[in-house]
Amino acid sequence: MAIEKGNARPDASFNELLQPVYHGKKITDAVNTAEDKWLLLPAFLKIKGLVKQHLDSFNYFVNVDLKKIVRANERVVSDVDPEFYLKYLDIRVGMPQRKDQNSLSTEITPHECRLRDLTYAAPIFVDVEYTRGKKIVIHKGLEIGRMPIMLRSERCVLAGKSETEMAKLMECPLDPGGYFIVNGTEKVILVQEQLSKNRIIVEADEKKGIFQASVTSSTHERKSKTYILTKHGKIYLKHNSITEDIPIVLVLKACGIQSDFEILQLVAGADSRYQEVFAINIEECAKLNVFTQQQALEYLGTKVKTSRRPMSPRLSALQEGLEALATTVIAHITVHNLDFREKAIYMAIMTRRVLMAMVNPHLVDDRDYVGNKRLELAGQLLSLLFEDLFKKFNNDFKTSIDKVLKKPNRTNEFDALLNITIHSNNITMGMNRAISTGNWSLKRFKMERAGVTHVLSRLSYISALGMMTRISSQFEKTRKVSGPRSLQPSQFGMRRYIVDFRRASNANDEVCPSDTPEGEACGLVKNLALMTHITTDDEEEPIKKLIYVLGAEDISVISGHELHAPGSYGIFLNGTVLGITRTPVKFVTRFRNLRRKGRVSAFISFYINHHHKAVHIATDGGRICRPLIIVDKQKSLVTAKYIQALKEGRMQFDDFLRKGLVEYLDVNEENDCNIAIYEHEIASTTTHLEIEPFTILGAVAGLIPYPHHNQSPRNTYQCAMGKQAIGAIAYNQLQRIDTLLYLMVYPQQPMVKTRTIELIQYDKLPAGQNATVAVMSYSGYDIEDALVLNKASIDRGFGRCQVLRKNTTTLKRYSNQTHDRLDGVKRDQDGNPIFKHAILEQDGLPGVGEQVSTGMVYVNKQVPNNAGDNLLGAQGGPAPSADDYKDSPVIYKSPEPSYIDKVLLTSSESEQPLIKVLLRQTRRPELGDKFSSRHGQKGVCGVIVQQEDMPFSDSGVCPDIIMNPHGFPSRMTVGKMIELISGKAGVLDGSLQYGTAFGGSKLTDMAKILVDKGYSYSGKDMLTSGITGECLQAYIFFGPIYYQKLKHMVLDKMHARARGPRAVLTRQPTEGRSRDGGLRLGEMERDCLIAYGASQLLLERLMISSDAFEVDVCGQCGLMGYNGWCTTCQSAKNVYKLTIPYAAKLLFQELLSMNVAPRLKLGDAF
Amino acid sequence: MNRESFVPPTSQTSSGAAAAGRAFQPVQAITYLCASCAAPNTLNRSDPVRCKECGHRVLYKQRTRRMVQFEAR
Repeated sequence: MAIEKGNARPDASFNELLQPVYHGKKITDAVNTAEDKWLLLPAFLKIKGLVKQHLDSFNYFVNVDLKKIVRANERVVSDVDPEFYLKYLDIRVGMPQRKDQNSLSTEITPHECRLRDLTYAAPIFVDVEYTRGKKIVIHKGLEIGRMPIMLRSERCVLAGKSETEMAKLMECPLDPGGYFIVNGTEKVILVQEQLSKNRIIVEADEKKGIFQASVTSSTHERKSKTYILTKHGKIYLKHNSITEDIPIVLVLKACGIQSDFEILQLVAGADSRYQEVFAINIEECAKLNVFTQQQALEYLGTKVKTSRRPMSPRLSALQEGLEALATTVIAHITVHNLDFREKAIYMAIMTRRVLMAMVNPHLVDDRDYVGNKRLELAGQLLSLLFEDLFKKFNNDFKTSIDKVLKKPNRTNEFDALLNITIHSNNITMGMNRAISTGNWSLKRFKMERAGVTHVLSRLSYISALGMMTRISSQFEKTRKVSGPRSLQPSQFGMRRYIVDFRRASNANDEVCPSDTPEGEACGLVKNLALMTHITTDDEEEPIKKLIYVLGAEDISVISGHELHAPGSYGIFLNGTVLGITRTPVKFVTRFRNLRRKGRVSAFISFYINHHHKAVHIATDGGRICRPLIIVDKQKSLVTAKYIQALKEGRMQFDDFLRKGLVEYLDVNEENDCNIAIYEHEIASTTTHLEIEPFTILGAVAGLIPYPHHNQSPRNTYQCAMGKQAIGAIAYNQLQRIDTLLYLMVYPQQPMVKTRTIELIQYDKLPAGQNATVAVMSYSGYDIEDALVLNKASIDRGFGRCQVLRKNTTTLKRYSNQTHDRLDGVKRDQDGNPIFKHAILEQDGLPGVGEQVSTGMVYVNKQVPNNAGDNLLGAQGGPAPSADDYKDSPVIYKSPEPSYIDKVLLTSSESEQPLIKVLLRQTRRPELGDKFSSRHGQKGVCGVIVQQEDMPFSDSGVCPDIIMNPHGFPSRMTVGKMIELISGKAGVLDGSLQYGTAFGGSKLTDMAKILVDKGYSYSGKDMLTSGITGECLQAYIFFGPIYYQKLKHMVLDKMHARARGPRAVLTRQPTEGRSRDGGLRLGEMERDCLIAYGASQLLLERLMISSDAFEVDVCGQCGLMGYNGWCTTCQSAKNVYKLTIPYAAKLLFQELLSMNVAPRLKLGDAF
Repeated sequence: MNRESFVPPTSQTSSGAAAAGRAFQPVQAITYLCASCAAPNTLNRSDPVRCKECGHRVLYKQRTRRMVQFEAR
């Protein structure tokens, strides 16, 4: 029941993987499980997909969480009329609709939203029951706002569509979805990493000798953090709402545990070591003369920070204490009927953890441990947002009905519905604003988070995919500690990243090198591995019942003595203790068996912590887990029979789960297990078998062939560069109108693939070409990683790419009935269009297909002169004449011409006409363009050589690229060499080879193919020089390597300036290429000139060629005057002209404005 | 007046046209193709941007009739 239902939609893209013959493997072939168990991976991805975590989370929000939020806030009542109420009966989200009423169909596609700058949103409907006069009315299907819809979620029009249907909707079937479209831009809500809520974390500051256990309580109502910490060897409770630290024994007494002996038992048990350390606390409480619960509560009450609302009555100290203890301290444990027992035990356990850390400082938690973290996804963030907006909506609604109900005599019967729809825009706008700006500001939780959403990067297919699996950490970037940045062994297979090689001391070599940015965010931004799943919340109640059914003793009837007795283990459900068991292993095994049978959700984890003597059961959302094959009696449960069934399509991944052959383990439970990587490694203690070792890599690192042969930072570099590679972006790439789009003209799939490449279908949207590479020195233009390119290869289309740029123009409408318009073409005397308007047609828009060069107008817009005026009388006034408009054309500025690719006319949400012009440039590689192989080996084109001058092999093969061999020794990218050999074998053999991590085509097999085809096993060939015609002195390593063209191109960067614009304030040259800025002679360069003594050069650079300014300075007072007149001295006597930088003059004046008089002392000029 | 109207210019009103002594140009209505049904549409001053056949709101300009020369490199 609880297993998530895999939607077995016919996904055409996976058909190939499940065909009878797949990569030479027929159904009838003998199946060797050890070889073929990786087939579970495509099966997993088929039902889960690459971004399933986002979709699951959003679906959970729309289907479950939304209803919970509404149920929690279901009644709206009036302060004025006690008869009135409004109750929400149900809430649901419809399918995405357009707002336009007069359209034929209401369905809207994501593609149309992108083109028209609309929001892809669906109406939120509620069913309400309310009173109208004396009647109770039920109204169904009331729209209260619009919810942005995640692409490919259940509510998206793309859900369950086949490849052909997708094509009809102009959508790419390979696009992962999982993002939103808000005002035409694609926005991703990144996965956020946080410390677990409602769990105890024990930390130590050994220098100060402080030990503390803290818990962040988080419920729908409030969030608070409670600490139990040591101070001078005594233990206190600390909380934000309490002014000073309270002795822990006092708090426990306030909870109703009055006997000191009982407290000692609960905290320390029978262990004399703990008793000894704890005894002083009991004394501490006695010193304060607190012996009873009443006294304790009164003491507590005096220390509580009171923030009473004005009108409410004052509470006594006892009441204050009771309320603080019941609601704010450890808020996630609810107190019923003032029974504090549960809370007391929880605090006692926290105290015990502190004691344990005091006795043995090793018993602290690691906050970087993945098991202590939770990932927050789009669904959770949206639910926080929606809850806030919904509460605000209800509040607004309440105040507006109160206003109406206050009036004693109403002319007609009051209908509350008329009032509710007014506020629906607030929810819509609130959602849109939050997603489009990324600012999550929720007043209730004092939550202020910026940068939650990001624009989906569409540089390449890989960059979009990489963005969907990215995890951002909530830690501050400035902290110097390496803990959160370094690699955690517990991240194995969950997420992967390599630590910046400078910090490599912390790296653990069982975790694969991979995807994280270098520099500032290193290690804080991570990526999910291929087979991870992030859990959503599961119901606690049924599990609670099961715990007791399976023989746990209820905690409410347990004393401290029994709780801490040797051999008894506490049972914790989501961090809260529920009972104890004396047979923990048996207990957990029973639970696991239930999970394997599918009786409880597959994503619930059970594990034992022997240090804490605790059995933990977790049902909460945000845990990362991954599937593993179960091993029983030293045999993998997944056998040939099942793999056979999988191949024939008789079984799916979910069937493996249901049959108990495969299960999901989260990080904590993995600690309880012994996982074999290969089948032959299974030993008697083994509990699980890895499905496939390369799944510790993610989608982006999966592109690298033979990554296990490379030095690890190289793989990290490739992960960054793979996202900048120009290639195919999506099947609908030519339908899209993006701000900037780079496309490769002839992309090729790599000769050396990996399994990951097939799984993420990079071979269908590749970004690169198989270049024939000669590893040799040539010409001296190849130093420092520069590449020599073959001119004929470029002519044939190597590295050729297209750059598509968008320009958006809106024809605005102003409040005074005027609006922008397009003007026609201006012509000269002969009736020919003037140069600027050469490509315009009579509609003021350019002809599609025309070439547009610098200075030409391509949208001839005019704006009214009086747009600002509020001409009420303009309605009947004369039609605006030509003089009332001024030109505001869009002028093409780039030095290189473009072609008009598309001109699109449409209207935005506000019904203003919207014009998008798409400009196209086709670029061939030129000197300085950047290329890279898939091994973090980037280089720029150093020289382009005629094919005649290139070396050639005896079969006449000429290289596309010549790479300098100096790139290899220090980089140690052996994978690149193996790629070359495998690629060469593949070319000769007519096959595609594999470079999958920890596997792939074997080097010996590749050498065998080479030898069979008459080549050297080493991949080296005899080459002839194209210049001299002689044989080269050495054999040259020669073969195909997959090369990517990166987006950094000379054309976008070249810049020079002699004279040009200056900044208004300082009169110095502007900064930056976009403003035609100057090239700065900076401080360090200045220092050089000073040191050298080149004073005239300095003067020329820093003043004369920059912001020289002639001022009149009075020799008498040293202040500046003007026109040879000193206003201070009222004389022209001692005024001299001199040249100073304008910035200096500005500084003097600014100082003057602050009552500081800078006086110039004049001396003789030389 | 319809609020959604798209306003194509009237080239006659463009400033200085008469003063420049412009030769008479035959005015041909520009046709736009609907992105959904590919029906040709002509837009007038007061027309909203909307296909007359299917009501779709996205129109593309048709390729120019003028000759375009490419430099093949």
